[in-house]
Amino acid sequence: MAEIRFENVKKTYGEDTIISDMNMTIKDGSFTVIVGPSGCGKSTTLRMIAGLETQTEGNIYIGDRLVNDVSPGKRNVSMVFQNYALYPTMSVKGNIEFGLKNRKVQKAERQKLIEEVAEIVGLTPYLNKKPQKLSGGQRQRVALARAMVKKPDVFILDEPLSNLDAKLRQQMRSELVQLHAKLGTTFVYVTHDQVEAMSMGDEIVLLDQGEIMQMAPPLDLYNYPANRFTAQFIGTPPMNLVSVDQLPSAGFREKAVEQIGFRPEKAKLRHFPGNDQFSMPCTILNRETLGSEIIYQLDTFAGKLYAKTFNEPVVDDEQLFVSVNNEDIYYFKENGRCIAPYFNRETPIKVRSTV
Amino acid sequence: MSRWLERFRPYLMVAPAIIVFVLFFIYPIGYMIYLSFHEWDFISPDKQFVGLDNFAGLSEHPEFLKSLENTFVFTFFSVGITTVLALLLALWINRPTRFYGFVQGAVFSPHIISLVSIAMLWMWLMDPQYGLLNWGLEMFGLPQSQWLASPETALYSIILVAIWKSIGFNTLIIIAGLQSIPPHLYEAAALDQSSRFTSFAKITFPMISPTLFFLIIMNLIGSFQVFETIDIMTQGGPLQSTNTLVYYIYEYGFRFFQLGYASSAGVILLIVLSILTVLYFFLMSKRVHYQ
Amino acid sequence: MAVTSVKSLSETITFPPVWIPETIRFENFTLAWDSGPFLRYFVNSLIVTLSILVLQLFTIVPAAYAFARYRFFADRALFALTMITLMIPTQLIFLPVYLQFSSWGLLDTHLALILPFAANAFAIFMLRQTFKQVPEELLEAARLDQASEWKIMYMIMVPMAKPTIITLLLFSFITHWNDYFWPLVMTTTDASRTLPVGISALTNVEGGVAWHIMMAGNMILVVPILIIFFVAQRHIIRAFVYTGVK
Repeated sequence: MAEIRFENVKKTYGEDTIISDMNMTIKDGSFTVIVGPSGCGKSTTLRMIAGLETQTEGNIYIGDRLVNDVSPGKRNVSMVFQNYALYPTMSVKGNIEFGLKNRKVQKAERQKLIEEVAEIVGLTPYLNKKPQKLSGGQRQRVALARAMVKKPDVFILDEPLSNLDAKLRQQMRSELVQLHAKLGTTFVYVTHDQVEAMSMGDEIVLLDQGEIMQMAPPLDLYNYPANRFTAQFIGTPPMNLVSVDQLPSAGFREKAVEQIGFRPEKAKLRHFPGNDQFSMPCTILNRETLGSEIIYQLDTFAGKLYAKTFNEPVVDDEQLFVSVNNEDIYYFKENGRCIAPYFNRETPIKVRSTV
Repeated sequence: MSRWLERFRPYLMVAPAIIVFVLFFIYPIGYMIYLSFHEWDFISPDKQFVGLDNFAGLSEHPEFLKSLENTFVFTFFSVGITTVLALLLALWINRPTRFYGFVQGAVFSPHIISLVSIAMLWMWLMDPQYGLLNWGLEMFGLPQSQWLASPETALYSIILVAIWKSIGFNTLIIIAGLQSIPPHLYEAAALDQSSRFTSFAKITFPMISPTLFFLIIMNLIGSFQVFETIDIMTQGGPLQSTNTLVYYIYEYGFRFFQLGYASSAGVILLIVLSILTVLYFFLMSKRVHYQ
Repeated sequence: MAVTSVKSLSETITFPPVWIPETIRFENFTLAWDSGPFLRYFVNSLIVTLSILVLQLFTIVPAAYAFARYRFFADRALFALTMITLMIPTQLIFLPVYLQFSSWGLLDTHLALILPFAANAFAIFMLRQTFKQVPEELLEAARLDQASEWKIMYMIMVPMAKPTIITLLLFSFITHWNDYFWPLVMTTTDASRTLPVGISALTNVEGGVAWHIMMAGNMILVVPILIIFFVAQRHIIRAFVYTGVK
């Protein structure tokens, strides 16, 4: 078990900078999810931890050990790959055993360890099968077992669920979380799926273009986005942004605020303007009824906005007003930073029912 | 220490193969080119530099010119007929039948059987007195042929053997090409009321033409090297009528010890093969591009 | 000309030159066998062909792996050299190689028939393609499992490329078992002659050609190939077709 520390880590490929000056500490025993759009450098970050790629500058520590020059096999890191990367010519048992053999673990000991992990992931009946004979979910478990059996300090998972169908993915998500709770090892998990990140991680690192946008627990990320990118990346549909120039009320033009934002789920649809600071007339362009929730696409003079309601009757009037409570409004400066009212993390979240 | 090994590992890994190639292929080619500018008879201690004299000599050497002509005639007919027949056969066979596996095996076996056996089998078939071929011709009331025994027919007899050997292989390759054409193309064509001939001209032929080009070049390279059948069946005769380039090199180098001439002829063959090989790789890179 | 099937081929050459034989005369085989040192030829063929296969295995696999997986100085140049070898037929190089072997005193020995074919450019090319198709992730997984580079090659890559390797070896076997030109040039006595050369000598028997004996002799040459062909027919056809189409 170990924490992972990045110190001024930089990674470039020729002219291209993938990671520019990364500093972070992944806590010991945490389930840290690295998330971001494709090409943001999340996989590179992961591979640098594993030692499959070497950083151009800076230091990486696993525990107290500086691992810059330590080969992948010696870092005591296990990895689960996106396509599982099972050795096709070896049986399930052979796959799990391969790493142990390379570490010169005694045969009796190997047998014990294999039986142990096979039991945990439910592979005992399949130990002598070849990976090609297994289903996607079972292959996933073999990959997990192979990673677990080495009792690593750090467990690395690179989009491990992306090849599974929706139902199985749901199931594996909770299994992975339970597994983490059982093992207590540091998990570093990469995904491009914000839902996966939010539902699994206890710490999320949001990356964009090789820079950390924000590192925080899921709810903090949702409630206190540090910047425009975070605000828009987390949440479906994304946060509505309106430029202050397009707002009639002068009240927003303060503190060099460029845009204001609010989450679709905080928007209120009404037949009257109301007293809120933010309120504008709108028409419904499109409506997605998903069952318990309904997503509206609205047309306003400030552009298209989204609103989301839960367990409320369908609104289908032509002319409406969209308004937001003052506390639910986020303010963004020109450089994208999010300021008042939530620049102070201690501010309590006010939960209120809409309408 | 391990870093050293790390850096040299790839070289260690390719070294054995590269040594063999240099020793037995690259260096000999260089030596052959060197010899082509010299006069030497194997025995005398010095090799006399003669510049391009060997090549000039070859250009006036009737035997060489005859062998060149024969090589081209052989190549033209064997490759041409093989390709056309193989295409027709492939179109005819390419339908799912129960016998497909059997046909495949039957058609393919000549390709893997030693040319020595094939040559001998055909010598027997082509024997003017008791050969099966003449027996067959007689059966159908056709005039008999002298086959290998006559300068007029010997080269064509050799061509016949070459076609027989390679046609099965060619057919299989074309069938493989045909089967890689997605069926929905034909379905779309059928919906467009395309006639069978139009379908062939607009779909089948364009789709398999890369395969055909490929085959033709492979066959060309192969037939410029024809040797076994000639050495066994005719030894270049009768009257030089089946003497080909490779056989010429073999005879002049090995029987008459005129290494300069043999090497010069070798250089000419090398040039022909190089052009074909460049073409081959050019097509290959193009095809990779399409995929 | 009708398609000649294997069966009809073997039947044709087994029988004496009569359309339908009155009796099937197996003694032709013994006659052929006794008409020359065929056991010697057969053993020579076996020694030469198998030695080539073993040597090729040791040169091809590492070279293909290095070309597929490592970037090193002059890798492209060395690969180009390999590809050039592919287009040089033995009919071009026999004279210089003959001189070389004669200066080393290796003429008319097994080594002269084996050494030039200890590596195979075509096989390196094919195997390299196969190795390249192995996903990088698999190698990374093995590295994380603390496997050494040699171990990765022999424990993971080679087993994965097994079908290709078998195919290439079959290929090589057929080529060198059947080869006539090289042994013809490099051997002078029966001590090192291989079957194809030995059998071809049957055409030069004084006082007419004994067709039935010649054909029976050929059976010794053909049968091993046919056996291999029928055992691994699918493998072989797929290999040949693959190389032609791809």
